[in-house]
Amino acid sequence: MAANIFDRAAALDAAFISRVQSGDMPEVSAGELSAPILADVFDTQLMNRHLDLMARRTKGQTFYSIGSSGHEGLAALALASRATDMAFLHYRDAAFCIQRRKAVNGSTPLYDMVLSFAASSEDPVSGGRHKVLGGAEIYVPPQTSTIASHLPKAVGAAHSLCLGGGELPDDSVVLCSFGDASSNHSTAQGAINSAAWAAYQGSPMPLVFICEDNDLGISVRTPKGWIEANYKNRPGLKYMSCDGTDIEDAMRGAREAVDFARTRRRPVFLHFKTVRLMGHAGADIEGKYSPQAEIEAREARDPLLKTAAHLMSRGVMSGEDILAAYQEMRARIDRIASDVFTRPKLTTAAEVMAPITSDQHRKALDIPSREALAKVGCERDGRHIPLNKMINKTLAEILLTYQNTFVFGEDVARKGGVYGVTLDLLKQFGAKRVQDTLLDEQTILGMAIGAAHNGFVPIPEIQFLAYLHNAEDQIRGEAATLSFFSRGQFTNPMVIRIAGLGYQRGFGGHFHNDNSVTVLRDIPGLIVACPSHGADARKMLRECVRLAHVERRVVVFLEPIALYGTTDIAEGDKAWMSEYLAPQDDEIINFGEVSQHGDGDELAILSYGNGYYLSRQAEPQLTGIKSRIIDMRWLAPLPMAAILDAVKGCRNILIVDECRRSGSLSEELMTRLIEAGITVPIKRVTGHDSFIPLGNAAYSVMPSVDDIVATAKEMTS
Amino acid sequence: MSNKKTAVVICPGRGTYNADELGYLRRHHSDKKSFIDMVDRVRADAGQEAISDIDAANKFSPARHGSGENASLLIYACALADFFSIDRAQYDIVGITGNSMGWYLSLAAGGALSLEDGARLVNGMGQIMTEHGKGGQVVYPTVDDEWRQSAKKQKLIDNALSMVGNLTLSTSIHLGGMHVFAGGDRGIRHLMSELPKDGVFPLRLRGHSAFHSPQLDHIVPMAKTAFSADMFGGPDTPLIDGQGNIWSRFSTDTDALYDYTLGRQINGTYYFTRAVQVAAKEFAPDVFIVLGPGGTMGAPVAQSLIQMNWRGLEGKTNFQKRNKDTPVILSMGRDAQRALVTT
Repeated sequence: MAANIFDRAAALDAAFISRVQSGDMPEVSAGELSAPILADVFDTQLMNRHLDLMARRTKGQTFYSIGSSGHEGLAALALASRATDMAFLHYRDAAFCIQRRKAVNGSTPLYDMVLSFAASSEDPVSGGRHKVLGGAEIYVPPQTSTIASHLPKAVGAAHSLCLGGGELPDDSVVLCSFGDASSNHSTAQGAINSAAWAAYQGSPMPLVFICEDNDLGISVRTPKGWIEANYKNRPGLKYMSCDGTDIEDAMRGAREAVDFARTRRRPVFLHFKTVRLMGHAGADIEGKYSPQAEIEAREARDPLLKTAAHLMSRGVMSGEDILAAYQEMRARIDRIASDVFTRPKLTTAAEVMAPITSDQHRKALDIPSREALAKVGCERDGRHIPLNKMINKTLAEILLTYQNTFVFGEDVARKGGVYGVTLDLLKQFGAKRVQDTLLDEQTILGMAIGAAHNGFVPIPEIQFLAYLHNAEDQIRGEAATLSFFSRGQFTNPMVIRIAGLGYQRGFGGHFHNDNSVTVLRDIPGLIVACPSHGADARKMLRECVRLAHVERRVVVFLEPIALYGTTDIAEGDKAWMSEYLAPQDDEIINFGEVSQHGDGDELAILSYGNGYYLSRQAEPQLTGIKSRIIDMRWLAPLPMAAILDAVKGCRNILIVDECRRSGSLSEELMTRLIEAGITVPIKRVTGHDSFIPLGNAAYSVMPSVDDIVATAKEMTS
Repeated sequence: MSNKKTAVVICPGRGTYNADELGYLRRHHSDKKSFIDMVDRVRADAGQEAISDIDAANKFSPARHGSGENASLLIYACALADFFSIDRAQYDIVGITGNSMGWYLSLAAGGALSLEDGARLVNGMGQIMTEHGKGGQVVYPTVDDEWRQSAKKQKLIDNALSMVGNLTLSTSIHLGGMHVFAGGDRGIRHLMSELPKDGVFPLRLRGHSAFHSPQLDHIVPMAKTAFSADMFGGPDTPLIDGQGNIWSRFSTDTDALYDYTLGRQINGTYYFTRAVQVAAKEFAPDVFIVLGPGGTMGAPVAQSLIQMNWRGLEGKTNFQKRNKDTPVILSMGRDAQRALVTT
């Protein structure tokens, strides 16, 4: 009977049975795997296949039908690598996870995988938040429908293995798999380029990229030979290939690739040629874009048939044994599924959101002695210094205190940063702690994420805020989601320093004066800090590193470039500088605390960054207005409790927001004040909905002292 | 689609043949003469009293029936005979596990050892333990009256273990709602004085050594000398071991199975609770069949299942009601439940 063209799951299922029954098996050459290992891999592959078939039968009870069928050969990579070789996986790698989990005492890969398919809150990986492959005990950070966005962090993790002092064994390799279609993604291209760039100049990069080439990206064909042509002769990158549908050849390829990366500490591109079975996902009807003959040709390459052929040709299992095992696995998974479908689900927002901020807490570190601090220039010396120099000293203090931190970015090491913020740190702490990177923000953030998986608290620098935007998904889709998708079992704490905002005396235009941080403000769990002067920066940076190290948070430390070298409020008063104070002598600024200047009750000015500085400049002109000026310091989440406390009793509230009028934090702030029951007049002075032009024209689209004074007077007149 | 029920079989450990079980073989298994003859032959070869005679004694004697060298094979004979009595027309056995010595029984029931090799292994290990075993086992509950995990009792156990100092004390078995300690004499004295009285607990098990603990490190080479790896094969039915790992027919590395059985299994903690939970999760059987002799193993199985809220099991009352209406744990050592398992 001809198989239903629309039901490829049934066709594939029937074809396996009928070919084994009739002895119509693919030809295979002699192999080297031992009989028990071959049988064990077949067991894994059966689990993978029947999990997929079960998911296709149970729509409404399982919620994610992108399967791993055809990619079952990935079990070879699990066998060829060590259990502690961290793996950032493609979403079709269930077989890899099952195979690794089998080596963990008492593991229950089938039950757990079905919990994940069914989005049960008992799913040990994500707690019912997503079908993710992974698990802390198998060193597979959870991944979901990635579009190659996990490649940069794999590069970062591999790089971090060579820094020393990480939590993974130093002789580990990192595995990273992805599809042939997503290899075209700019994120993949950037990551592969970065790995090769590092290796080309002799920097260790023990990384195996596994390109699972099934010739298709949903319906779009990968040009014949494209992957091989593209990667075979890349400088710094070793190309290898194997037939992923044949477990024996997959094992050969996997072993060679892993051994090469481990012994040579160089990146490998393993071209894992395989096949996609049952379409892209449950709802994808292949018949719409592929002729039936082509679909059937793909199905004929079923890796399970080849493994079965190896087992039969070597006399390990008979055809009857194969069929019995196949049918028993189906029945077993059906029984498991009927149990799992009764298990609880997440039902409230609070349950869903519980891990957004991670529930891991590590011990705070001791403050270094004064003598140790003095050796890296961190001592009170009577000199008043501006923001950039204060951050520089504080970074030295942090590098000394937290041996698991390192500072990196474009131009941060030898040059010491475009604005001198990282000056001399390379000299003081060496090349492993202070590193120049290539010019690719995705790689910089990926490096941070990957290193954080290995126990580091990275401090990457994004040179200008505008440069963040092409790499922003590394924060949004990757770093910020990790604790959510792993129930806090994995975290990637970091403090991302970003130089940004406007007012650089007309210099630089938009790309050096970007005044939009909106993209950072709606990311659940992300903290955005913005100091306006050195004394706050010192204390806030310490708090940010504590939040990362102890509470495992992802933190952005936004540095207003225009204030880096600012010395005065009024000309010559030196009021915008301060002395460095060692942590022993200093106050603490806690996350969520705001500062308040003045205590007048007629007008509260709420601001941050340059806006706060401008408000302080405006203050002398607010004659007769009893005012207070509040620096909110924390831009996300907004410290509303402290803000409400700070504005209490004020008869007018003026928000000074240097970012654009639309979408900036002043919108939320206004809303939240009103929601909190504030009934006094509230006004905003904001940037215009414009990009920042060059020269003096820049000031025409950003708030000025005059705007603040005029609005304050208008409100209080 | 088969109408049979699926079952995971649980093999009992030491201490399950007591006064009530006297005559168990004769009562239930007079039809299995060749098997019992084989067991008696193993005994005769070792110069030991026949198991059928011990079973047929007029009076139960703790010294005779409970001693390591007799009890091991006596329980083996009863349990394996029970295994053969399961009505296969009603039940598909999808997995086998056991507690402690029950692991050896599982190997034989599952076909990883021949019945005779299984008998020789059990009897031989019983002899080795009688001659070279040291220390003992103490049992203390981890659950309340409703068989729910008690944080208070667990704390007492954790404290007892943490206060151990130089005393030799470790966890022998996680046995459902019971924590079984293994200890040397000083360790056991420490436990008996440290743990508050809770009914009959802390209870020292008569005639038991410090099974599943480093105190039996010296037994490992003896066991490996006495038995070779070539008697092991892949099981016909999947086995779940005392670490919660699954051994299947074609994928079993028999050297690894031998190494575990006569290595880690002897001198490392036995995770019976985990084994039951892995069986429940990965094989999702309709029922658990607990082989006799005795009816005491049903409780740790139930407690292990309650701990994971298996199919809504919440506690003892709830379990007992469920087991009465639609049994999920069938103990062959209990006549009423036995009748549901056998033809």
